[in-house]
Amino acid sequence: MTDKITDPVALWQKMVGEMEKGFNSFATKAMETPEFSQAMNRAGGAAAGAQKQFGDLMEKYLLSMNLPSREQMTGIAERLQSIEGQLGEIRSMLNQMSAASGGSPIDAAPRPPRTKRPPSEGGGHK
Amino acid sequence: MNALTGLDLAAIPDRIQAEVQRAIQRSIKGVEYFSTSGPMLGSTPKDVLHSRGTMSLYHYRPMSDEIYRVPVLIVMATTNRGYILDLVPGQSFIEFLLKHGYDVYMLDWSAPRPEEKSLRMEDYVLDFIPDCVRRVQADSGEQDVSVIGYCFGGVLSLLYGSIFPDGPMKNLICFTTPIDFREMKLFSNFSDRRYFDVDRLVDSVGNVPPEMILSSFEMLRPASRAVSQIQLWENIWNDQFVKSYRMFDRWATDTLPLAGEYFRTITKDLMWDNKLYNDTMSVGGRPAKLENIKVPILHAVAEHDHIVPYDAAKHLIAKIGSADKEEVVLKGGHVSLVAGANAIKRLWPKLDSWLGTRST
Repeated sequence: MTDKITDPVALWQKMVGEMEKGFNSFATKAMETPEFSQAMNRAGGAAAGAQKQFGDLMEKYLLSMNLPSREQMTGIAERLQSIEGQLGEIRSMLNQMSAASGGSPIDAAPRPPRTKRPPSEGGGHK
Repeated sequence: MNALTGLDLAAIPDRIQAEVQRAIQRSIKGVEYFSTSGPMLGSTPKDVLHSRGTMSLYHYRPMSDEIYRVPVLIVMATTNRGYILDLVPGQSFIEFLLKHGYDVYMLDWSAPRPEEKSLRMEDYVLDFIPDCVRRVQADSGEQDVSVIGYCFGGVLSLLYGSIFPDGPMKNLICFTTPIDFREMKLFSNFSDRRYFDVDRLVDSVGNVPPEMILSSFEMLRPASRAVSQIQLWENIWNDQFVKSYRMFDRWATDTLPLAGEYFRTITKDLMWDNKLYNDTMSVGGRPAKLENIKVPILHAVAEHDHIVPYDAAKHLIAKIGSADKEEVVLKGGHVSLVAGANAIKRLWPKLDSWLGTRST
């Protein structure tokens, strides 16, 4: 059995762990300063503006190429999702109507009774 | 053992052999890693009860012969996907609840569409949650509903509970829920009102991009991503480690954008003015004081949570108006509290024993 103290792999893993802790701790202290916040938000604000401008420009380019933009593709995906959602709702309504008329739900197994008691009151785990 | 060097010389050949075998395994498994997808997540059978834009309400199919009377609605954090609570069989909180006799629903989120940038806090607290609660009541046939909120899902649940104190919420469970946003020191500094122009950001990008949310989470521990890659390479021969790594890494990077107006309110009301802690929070003109909440509440917090430090969460129980209230501090971090091997041993059994007696 290799001793952890003399095991080079264990020593390497320990060193990596210590480095992680040390760097995180150092970075956290630096990031807690107002100077960091100022610099980060200056860079972040510029990046957000540039991202928006680039997005608008790309949209115009795709339009000129008669191609859908990512936003339009996302829109189509979302509409499909919405149709799926509505189908789910219709199925749910049909199940409820079926249950209300005494029938069994279309695609669902019968629900178990709501009679469970906690184990401390004598209800076992099933 | 060599007395001079402290090295166990007899063990060296075995150690070298083991390392060579691992190096070979790394090469084989490394190729496998890049040519396969990770384990399938969120596969517990469920039905979509309702879906509207960014919001989806699931009902999970029961897995026990009898269930507790009171159904459970889980409210997921708006920044992340709900499958963290339903990783894989044997490591799924949802599956655990189902097998222990709970009727489980989940309010989960998808990326808000560009036109949903105008969703406000009101939409989440006064529309989405009440709408889901009504649907849970209709589907289950029960008036009472227990609510479980994870992270910011807990904040939304607290706001809902404080605005609708007369029910139908019967029990409230919060996981790692911040209320004192001054104590989220790094987030607080990132959004320092002197330098962070939230209006400019929201007005220019609409929905706040997921990359920005992910970066701000990763900046809390900037070395951890690089170290986790090193650990992955070291352990790539170990299938269990790789499986776990892929599950958590996929979830952590699957961050959602946030609706612009909603983000503006979070920044101004919570990060800047700390209104929830100061008892001055309102949503849509309706006061949301924590003292209004009178239902039984359990708050589970993690000892080593770097996202929601204990100081940001510790005042919740004191400020709640309930007589039946409990805080439990468990070992673990923000995610390992609720998911993974430690959660199975610590949080889940605690939650079961607390909620079971209040679900009849």
